[in-house]
This record gives sequence, structure tokens and C-alpha cells, in this order.
Amino acid sequence: MATSAPVRARRDGGAPARRRAARGSRLGPGVWLPTAVAVLTVGLGWSAVAADQPYLLPPLSEVGAILVEDPLLFLSNAWSTLSIALLGVACGAGTAFVLALLMSEIPVLRRAVMPLAVVLNVTPVVALAPALVVAFGFGMTPKVIVTAIITFFPVLINVTTGLRSVSLPVLHVFSTLHASRLEVLLRLRIPSSLPYTLAALRVVFPLSIVGAVVAEFVAAGSSSGLGTMIRNAAATARLEYVYAAVACLAVMGVLMLALITLVERRLLFWHESQQRTPS
Amino acid sequence: MSEDRIEVHGLTKTYEGGDPRRPALDDIHLEIPRGRFVSLIGPSGCGKSTLLRVIAGLEEHDTGEVTVFGSTPRSMCEAKAVGLVPQTPALLPWLNVRRNVSLPARVNRRAGRGSEDPDHLLRMVGLEDSARKYPGELSGGMQQRVAIARAFGLRPDLLLMDEPFSALDEFTREALQLQLLGLWERMATTVVFVTHSVREAVTLSDRIVVMSARPGRVHEVLPVDLPRPRGRDVVTGPRMHALEDRVRASLQSAWEAGAAPDDLIPL
Repeated sequence: MATSAPVRARRDGGAPARRRAARGSRLGPGVWLPTAVAVLTVGLGWSAVAADQPYLLPPLSEVGAILVEDPLLFLSNAWSTLSIALLGVACGAGTAFVLALLMSEIPVLRRAVMPLAVVLNVTPVVALAPALVVAFGFGMTPKVIVTAIITFFPVLINVTTGLRSVSLPVLHVFSTLHASRLEVLLRLRIPSSLPYTLAALRVVFPLSIVGAVVAEFVAAGSSSGLGTMIRNAAATARLEYVYAAVACLAVMGVLMLALITLVERRLLFWHESQQRTPS
Repeated sequence: MSEDRIEVHGLTKTYEGGDPRRPALDDIHLEIPRGRFVSLIGPSGCGKSTLLRVIAGLEEHDTGEVTVFGSTPRSMCEAKAVGLVPQTPALLPWLNVRRNVSLPARVNRRAGRGSEDPDHLLRMVGLEDSARKYPGELSGGMQQRVAIARAFGLRPDLLLMDEPFSALDEFTREALQLQLLGLWERMATTVVFVTHSVREAVTLSDRIVVMSARPGRVHEVLPVDLPRPRGRDVVTGPRMHALEDRVRASLQSAWEAGAAPDDLIPL
């Protein structure tokens, strides 16, 4: 009898049963306990060091106090950094996606663009940033450009790979139907590339924050942004402000990853990466 | 050139980088009348899949002539008159079963070819309850049934099948063979079926084209004079076994006629 129960459960609605099981395991102590222990350990270690040497690490209580005291200061600076990061991703990843599409259809373009893209990728963008500030001033433009350059390459490479990762038998079926190149692109290649595109976005969204912060470091004289805040606070040795801003950046990164994960669940429900293995 | 048969004359094909003395296909002559079910069988490397792809217009050939009902393979595809069932089901995992089956109707609308109702097709392969499911939720046999329904969807003049059942277990395979025969008898289309199973070839076909390897040639064309429709009683009868033995003997002599494969381990 014991063996027949799971079989029946599967037959009348396998998906809800699986979802319920997944939700249950997410709340179980087996999942949150290790994380909680790790967080607690790091927190205690931090506090021990901070109590002893406040110039190495600020006490967590002070960092928290600052955040609670003036949340608007951090929110407005975070928004300033976030808008740069998001604009940068939109420009960089958008350009890369369109370029990857064009390269997959026009091989000559691929040979022309790819070497340039590789060179751009191996060039440390941080080194370019001062020049961009000179050229475009202290406004948003140079920061968005730095972020766009950083996010450009991973998307270009992944989408290019994804557009090619079409199985030959499926391509044969489309050929016997005499599908046009546009139909193959829209109905086959772009959907096939989605897992690769989203994997790239998973890398590129956190990277965009790095780009925005680095650009703010370099653009001396800019008035807002968490990067600016960190630089100014560090110059006056107010470590608690530095770490409060760092905490804001970490939260932004986590939220971005959560967003991407949600989008992946919705768009890639059919892909192997989204199949939950029963454990 | 005839309107009512597939004609292959003097077809030769050598793959790039292949040995020119041993072409993949060497001087193939073949005629398949409209409405017949013909199997291509032979040892690996005999070019049966290559021949199928040439007839499908998916590959170029070097010399010779291929016409399908009086036109070229390419123009057959342009008119969406060819259905293909590859070895793997080749479904689109992001579309549900119903949308996979109706895909041929949505692609290349310029051809203006009418199509079957997808729900009717799914009923014919017994998958009406799975219409909203996604390919990843189906077994291998069910996926291949979806692929077959998709290929029948345009009522193709020519249906090409490349070892469609080879990845399935024997029980599923036999069930699908009978289901395919039922569909074919209703749809009255021409089928070219590549297989490496003697039993499968005899069960399904009107004619069996036995091929030999290195170079790929037509060794013998054997008629299968089993009555139709072929139910389980026909498929398990004594005449079936006699025919299987004939095909096996022909394959044996085809094997001896061709050169040994390079990777053959001498005993």
C-alpha cells in the first residue's frame, strides 16, 4: 500500500503536489537553519572585531542606526545608482542582443564585430572611466556608458551561443516546411536562446551595479549615488556610512537576482534548468 | 518525370572529405509509386538516412536526378507537401502539445496549404487529453506520437520518417507501428521510412529497399505481400516470419557485397 500512494498522487495532479512539496521544503528548518547559523556566525565575528578595533570594522549597531536615522538619504542615493545601473544594462544588453541577432544572420558582420568586442572586453573599463568623464562631464552619461560597456560582452557571447544552440532535427523540420529565415529566427532561434540570454542577465544585473559604483568613484565631483557616498565617507574615515552604503548595494543586488529568478521561472518553465528534482 | 511516383536516377553523393572511391550514395536507382509505404533498410553507413534527406531536399547531391511526383524536392517543400518525422521527436519544448501539432500550419503561410484540425489529429494518435501539456511532461513514445501528428497535419503528399521508433522500448514501438498504419491508411499518403529493424520494415511496408554499405547502393527491392489492414493477427502470422527471413538473408548478402567498415574488429 505504501508504494501505491505516490503513484496515485502523481496521476491526479502531479504539478500541484510537486509545488506543495517545494513550498514545504522551502520553509523547513533544513533549508533556513544552515543559512541562519552562517549569518549568525559572521555577525558575531564582525561584532567581536568591531568591539576590539573600530577602525577595522564599524559596530553593526552603528551601521544599523545610521540606516534607520536617515533612510531617505540612502534611498535617494540608491535610486541614483540604480537608475544608472538599469539604464546601463538596458543600453549595453540591448545593443548586445540586437548585435547578436544581426551577427547570427550576417556572418560577415560577425567576423567584423567579434574581434572588436573581445578587445573591448579585455580592456579594463575602470581605466576608460576617467576619459569618459572628461569627455561627457559629471552627469549620468559617462556612468551609463561604463555600465553599458561592462554588461555588453556577456550578453553578446551568451546570446550568440544561444541562437546557435538549435537542434538539427528541429531545423530539418522547419526546412521541410520551407520556413523563412525570419520565421526560423522568431519561432526557433530566439526562444532557444532564452535560457542563455537569461543566464547572461543573471550575471550582468549585479555587474551593472559594479559598473555604476566604479563610475561614481571615478567621476569626482558628482553629487549623488552610493558610490559617491562611499568615496566621500571613506575620505573622512566614517566607516559606518561606508558599510551602510555597501549594505544598500548588497540588497540591490539580491533584489535584482530575485527579479531575474522570477522572470526565469515564468519564461523558462519548459527548460531543464527549471525542473525541480525531487530530493 | 512522372506525376505519380518518386523517381531517383543515377544518384551519387560523396560527403566533403569522404573517400571519393566510396561515395555515401553510389548510382542509386529507385522508383516509389504514389500512395505506397516503402522502407529503406541496411547496415549502418549504407546511406539510407542520407537518401531520405536528399529526397526531403535537405541535402544536395552530386550527380543524378531526384523528382518527387514530377517536381523537385525543394519545390515540394515550398508547397509544404512534405512531412518529416526525425529520429528524435524534435518538438518545441516551449509550446504545448496542441501548438506543436499546429506549428506547420502557422509556418510558411505563403504556401497556402490547408491543414487538419489539431484536436482531430491529437484524437487520432490518442493524445486528446494531453493537448495542454508540454513535451517535457510526456514520455518518449507520447512525444513521438505528437511528432507524427504534426507531420500528418498538412496531409502531406510525402511523409519521410527517419528511424522514428528506434529510441522506444519494444512494446511501445509495436503499438506505435500499428497506430501509424491506421493513420496512413486513412490519410493515403506516400511514406518513405528508414529503419534498421527487419521486423518493423516487414510489418509496415509494401516494399523494402535493402541497401548495402561502402559504397551506399540499392542491393535489392523486396515486395511485401501481406494483406492490409495489418492487425496483430497478420503481424504475428507465419507468412510474416517467412518474409522476415527473406529480408534477413538479403541483408546478409548486402553486408557481404559491401566493403567491411573501417572500425570492424576481426574475431
